[in-house]
Amino acid sequence: MQLSELWRTTTFRLTLVYGLVFAVGVVALLGMVYLQSAVYLTRRVDGILNTEADALAASPPAQLRERINTDLLLNGPHTNVFALFSARGVLVTGNLPTLPTALTPDGKPLEILPTHTFPAHARLIARRLPTGEELVVGRDVNQLREMRAIVAYALVWSGVFILIVGLASGTALSIRPIRRLRTLQAAGRDIAAGNLTRRMPISERNDELDLFAGTVNTMMGEIERLMAEVKGSTETIAHDLRTPLTRARAQLHRLQHAEAPDRDEIARVTAEIDEVLERFRALMRISELEARSRRAGFAATDLAQVLAQVVDLYQPLAEDGGVTLTLAADRPSVVEADAKLLFEAVSNLVDNAIKFTGDGGLVQVWLEDDGGAPKIVVQDNGPGIPSDERVTVLQRFYRGERDRLSPGSGLGLTIVSAIVRLHGFTLTLADADPGLRAEIACGP
Amino acid sequence: MARILVIEDDLDTAAEIADCLIASGFDAEQCFDGQTGLERATGETFDAITLDRMLPGRDGLDVVRTLREQGSEIPVLMVSALSDVDDRVTGLRAGGDDYLVKPFAPAELVARLEVLLRRHRAPAKPELMLQVADLKLDLVAREAVRENRRIELLPMEFKLLEFLMRNAGQTLSRRMIFEQVWEYYFDPGTNLIDVHVGKLRRKIDFPGARPLFRTERGVGYILDAT
Repeated sequence: MQLSELWRTTTFRLTLVYGLVFAVGVVALLGMVYLQSAVYLTRRVDGILNTEADALAASPPAQLRERINTDLLLNGPHTNVFALFSARGVLVTGNLPTLPTALTPDGKPLEILPTHTFPAHARLIARRLPTGEELVVGRDVNQLREMRAIVAYALVWSGVFILIVGLASGTALSIRPIRRLRTLQAAGRDIAAGNLTRRMPISERNDELDLFAGTVNTMMGEIERLMAEVKGSTETIAHDLRTPLTRARAQLHRLQHAEAPDRDEIARVTAEIDEVLERFRALMRISELEARSRRAGFAATDLAQVLAQVVDLYQPLAEDGGVTLTLAADRPSVVEADAKLLFEAVSNLVDNAIKFTGDGGLVQVWLEDDGGAPKIVVQDNGPGIPSDERVTVLQRFYRGERDRLSPGSGLGLTIVSAIVRLHGFTLTLADADPGLRAEIACGP
Repeated sequence: MARILVIEDDLDTAAEIADCLIASGFDAEQCFDGQTGLERATGETFDAITLDRMLPGRDGLDVVRTLREQGSEIPVLMVSALSDVDDRVTGLRAGGDDYLVKPFAPAELVARLEVLLRRHRAPAKPELMLQVADLKLDLVAREAVRENRRIELLPMEFKLLEFLMRNAGQTLSRRMIFEQVWEYYFDPGTNLIDVHVGKLRRKIDFPGARPLFRTERGVGYILDAT
């Protein structure tokens, strides 16, 4: 894993940012503690020094030297400073060899470095006595300094520690997403290489990566379905066209070797090839419908009017074939649709119904309400379609068994299916017992 | 003799179209790419053009657009393998006068070309009454009269008869009829148009009347006085 790869992961960056914010917070907190405690302790030392200085200054001048010596004796010469200087600044008694020049007799404390007589940092205050002498009282402040050092030390190290822990946990947390991305990438490459059955791995965490992988998988499912359909339809087309072409070829071959050209035979071959062309035309139409941008020619369309026009167009054909064609759609029913395409779809259904029902048949067209959305129904009492063929007949380029025996491209239902899909409507074929009942549910 | 320029990149199709045009009494010239087609169309005199939509080099849409930009009003029949309504609209908008989808019967192309040529020579005038032999169609009262007999027509039958009479003497293919009268461009299949024409024909050519309808085998129909 490269550092740059690590840095690019969201988890790593977030962890790092959180770590930094946390470190700043901790440093600020410790800083506060440090400041507060240092100030408190310093004040306390100053208080003690003042009390001691006051007590000494209040003692009679004659006993002062005595008391300083006693105090030094009691406290030891290395923890406290007691010293008395003459008005000219010469040491009278005590454990401070010289009067520090920075020390002023106004009660302002001064910290000095260790000396050979007092081997520790000391905090001093000075008092001018009525006699003109100067009294210096001091205290070892090493403890105070050490305390400050400890706090400062903690401050720096905790900051460093938090940063290290942040970096480490950021790295650790990012490794999993990176690994998962790697597996997703691998799956993606595999798919791109042509393995359309491969899916993106999904963990059980249901996180954003899973959501994304799920979306990709849905997409892949659709692509796989389409590819299978294309493959299936290519095979169907090949099979479908090969039959009439083979027949035409055989006939041409016969004609080639015939003594005299038979005009009827030539007409039959031409008809055979016309059928192939017809089928090609239907195939083109289906491809065009499927490639169409959705909703291009959509407008408010009255279904009742569309049905009336279709029935109007097919009534003479029905009469001619001895089929009764009825329409029941009296109330206007408006949906968003491409009127011309919908007309084509319903025409195909009615055309099929008339064609397959035959003399004495009944074809009924009506509009019904299907839970708020209108539904177009075209029902005949002909032979119908066997239940096992009803699904496949709607597939792209599928030609039903019965179509092979009748004129036309035999792709009418496929065209209907493509138009219905373009609208986002649903086409169902059911058994009318006897006959076929085709329904277009014009709802989302 | 009308002179037709056939612009089509497929040699066999071009030859077939030309043969069919010559057989129908036209003078046909062929060329096989858009650029040459455009040059010949502008440099020579033709009465009409059949123009394939997809051509090498300069495509059909471009050719017709350029012709129209140059002010040419020559009738152009677009021929294309693309049948979608959008493609048709694009073809017509670019300046095509009619749009024929492949595959087609050569006779269909001739029929369409003849209608275009006639329309170009004699543009339709606003008329109140159409007449073919003794058949009269009153466009205002919307009724047909023949031998002093009023003939009852349904709305679509009226529209169909009007189209046939306006193009009297011309062969009209089933697809032309479906496109012009019903204004749909898909393949209606079976013998839908035959049935409609047959029904109208029985009303117009009633027993005893001189037949006006003629069937052109494999192509379509003609309404004619002769």
